[in-house]
This record gives sequence, C-alpha cells and structure tokens, in this order.
Amino acid sequence: MTEQSPAPGRAASEVPEGKIALALLTGWLVPGAGHAILGRVRRGVVFFVLIMGSFGLGLAHDGRLALYSPREGFLTGLQLVANVGVGPSDLLARMSVYGEAAYAVPDQSSPLYRPRIEKFRERQRSAVSAYGTAYLWSAGLMNLLLLMDIWDIAKRRKD
Amino acid sequence: MRSHFAHLTLYSGIIATFFSVLSRRDRREQLRFGGLVWLAMAGGVVVLAYLMLPFPR
Repeated sequence: MTEQSPAPGRAASEVPEGKIALALLTGWLVPGAGHAILGRVRRGVVFFVLIMGSFGLGLAHDGRLALYSPREGFLTGLQLVANVGVGPSDLLARMSVYGEAAYAVPDQSSPLYRPRIEKFRERQRSAVSAYGTAYLWSAGLMNLLLLMDIWDIAKRRKD
Repeated sequence: MRSHFAHLTLYSGIIATFFSVLSRRDRREQLRFGGLVWLAMAGGVVVLAYLMLPFPR
C-alpha cells in the first residue's frame, strides 16, 4: 500500500508541537487516528482494523484484563501497560467485565477483593484465555508502537 | 474458536500485517515482508513442534 508522499515543501517543515500532541493523544484514544491526523489516512484505517480486531478477539476469548498487584508489582505493572496501551477501550472492557474501572487487586480486607478476584480467575479458567490474553496485550503494545511511529513521522524521521 | 492452529495463523497474520504496514511503504515490499514474517512465525512454530515431538511431557 503506497501513500502519497508529502509535498516537497512540506517534507522539510516541522509539524507544530500542538499537532504532534493532538496526534499522540488521539492516536492513543483511537488506534490509527493519530496517523490520520498526520495525513496517513489509509495507514491509520489499516492500523485501526488490526488493533481493534485483535482487541475484540482478545475480549471474545476471555483475555486477561490485568490487575496491578504490589506483590508482583513489576510483572503486573507491565501487563497493565500492555492492556492500557489500547486506550479507553480497555476502560470500557473493564467496566463490562468487572462492573467498575478496576485496575488493581484491592486489599484483602476490602469487600471489593473477593468479587474482583473471582471475576479475574473466572476468565483465567477459560480454555481459550491464553489466546485471548495474547490478542489483548498485542493490541495494546501495537498501539504503543504506533505512538512512537507518530512521533517519528511528526519529526520527519520517516514518511 | 479453540483450534490452536487457527489461532496461530490468525495471530501471525495480524502481527505480520501490522509490521509490514508499519515498516514498508511500497505495496509489493509490504506483501513480501509480511509474507516472510508470517512464514517465520507460523512456519517456525510448526518446525519447533516437530522438533519437540520426540520429547513428550
């Protein structure tokens, strides 16, 4: 898929900082939208389809919506980053699965602890959960890579 | 969908397409690179599975 190269005059010019920030923010909110803002519309559409497709497959296959736990802070933190990378869709998924914006394992004395952990384990027990988790985390990580790509495009390091 | 092989081909397809569009501009180059990535992922797993065949759990 080839896209139109920027006009010769445009190639050397810098993208305004505000537009870069907008592209980065929009790109995180809606995968592919940042590329569209920078004029790479077709590429943005392909990225949107791939990332949201992967995210949808992950949810449909009971993928893990990670909860941060201080006991395994590093690993669960990385898992959370991979989930949250996909943008607000992750929040909607958490609202749907946990019934609230759940991002961490509550304290054991909290009344929230048991229902949240039960939901978490219930999805993990699914026979297809490992596949779902791979799709979910890949979707988030792909979107984070796209943010770096947006930065490179905006700084004219690539077209 | 519970087929491991179906997930392998689909997941490899998503990742291969993503990286080909991300790193290549020309359509022919994208197809070539994407095909190679897909083959490396899907084919690599099949080869690895055969290599592990003599060592059951």
